[in-house]
Amino acid sequence: MPVKVAQEWFAICGGCEVTVLDVGEPLLDLLPELEFVHMPVIMDHKLFGQTGENSTADIPEADVGIITGGIRNEENRHLAELMRSRVKFLIAMGSCACYGGIPAMANQFALEDLYERVYRGNSTTDSGETPKGAVPALLDRVYAVDEVVKVDLKLPGCPTTPDMFAGAVLHLLKGTPFALEEKSVCDQCPTLREKKSVAALKRPLEPIEGAGEPLETVRCLMEQGFLCQGPATRAGCGGMDGGTPRCIKAYMPCRGCYGPVRDDANPMVDMMGALSTIGLDPAQIPDRAAQFNRFAGAKGRLRAAPKR
Amino acid sequence: MSENGFEPLIIVYTCYWCSYTAADLAGTSRLQYPPNVRIIRVQCSGMVHPNLVIDALTNGADGVLMCGCHEGDCHYLEGNLRAKSRADAIKMMLDDFALEPERYRLEWVAASEGPRFAQVMTEMVEQVKKVGPSPYK
Repeated sequence: MPVKVAQEWFAICGGCEVTVLDVGEPLLDLLPELEFVHMPVIMDHKLFGQTGENSTADIPEADVGIITGGIRNEENRHLAELMRSRVKFLIAMGSCACYGGIPAMANQFALEDLYERVYRGNSTTDSGETPKGAVPALLDRVYAVDEVVKVDLKLPGCPTTPDMFAGAVLHLLKGTPFALEEKSVCDQCPTLREKKSVAALKRPLEPIEGAGEPLETVRCLMEQGFLCQGPATRAGCGGMDGGTPRCIKAYMPCRGCYGPVRDDANPMVDMMGALSTIGLDPAQIPDRAAQFNRFAGAKGRLRAAPKR
Repeated sequence: MSENGFEPLIIVYTCYWCSYTAADLAGTSRLQYPPNVRIIRVQCSGMVHPNLVIDALTNGADGVLMCGCHEGDCHYLEGNLRAKSRADAIKMMLDDFALEPERYRLEWVAASEGPRFAQVMTEMVEQVKKVGPSPYK
């Protein structure tokens, strides 16, 4: 009997759903064993019945539930709780579901300030009232899924790599445990580290020394002066077999999309510590909180500045 | 006891070579300083990662003090310089965590400076008592 899978998406761009399709040929082997019962992005299955005949939203019972995206509004929260009650095993997929992701950068501002900015204070927008009633009300901030309901497995990444998704599903089907390693991107980065201090910060658009040459001969991007978030970011973007991290492969500094190495770590503190240790003036770093918590703003890592 | 009965908890990281010896000296010289401090001996002030300071302050400590050798005296040559550059980053981050700057301090205390160690402890406790309990308590 195939394993039933229900999927729902919340505050997300849709990239993690593409990951599922991006699995490629291994997906063909998996498909006979999977039965998607609810997945808005690929199938027409409506929450209130196909003709809207039901008065309450429902998600069919399933063995595995996948939630992508953070919890931004009341509807998201309701559906997350509903999903949890309908599935046996819940996977939070993608950095938005695990850590808040890009939408959680809004957590730096109080909700009222956001409304003010979006609906009124903006010079390119006709000022108006904040919509009420017709659309689900926003929560006070963006939440990671595991702040709202219990999550059994987290697969971070922006997006999650296809082979991490496929690997997790395979382990689930076999009933073997699956866990991510607590390693940083630097552990899997092949660039040369010479332990020299950094003179000055470079902007990401400045040319990278050695771009195009084999990575083993390229000097560590952090040592070159680029803000590479590798030291404070979980490894895994290179694939399950520990391949070269994706951004590094393209001669770009890590942006931290796999979230913190440990769940309770704060990448901003880690990175500020790492940078000040190699002799960089911490005042040089603009907007450190959002820069280093770009993908991990939920769980109180990004918050509105307190009014003193 | 302070007026409002608030007794702060202060974590003190002291380096093995200078500041912990100074604490020892303060003890053997029978110098008095407030009992609010909890001393954690580390090998060098340069090994106190900002994580340890922020974690302490966000998990119940009211203040954190880092003590190391005077500049130029570090047993490991430049560990205390590293501590100094980290201190700049820590001071900036206190603001991000809505913590008052008075809760963190970096001080150089040499092995022979027992009285100074006692004085720094007294000052730090007074300083934190003025700001009140940590908002994370």
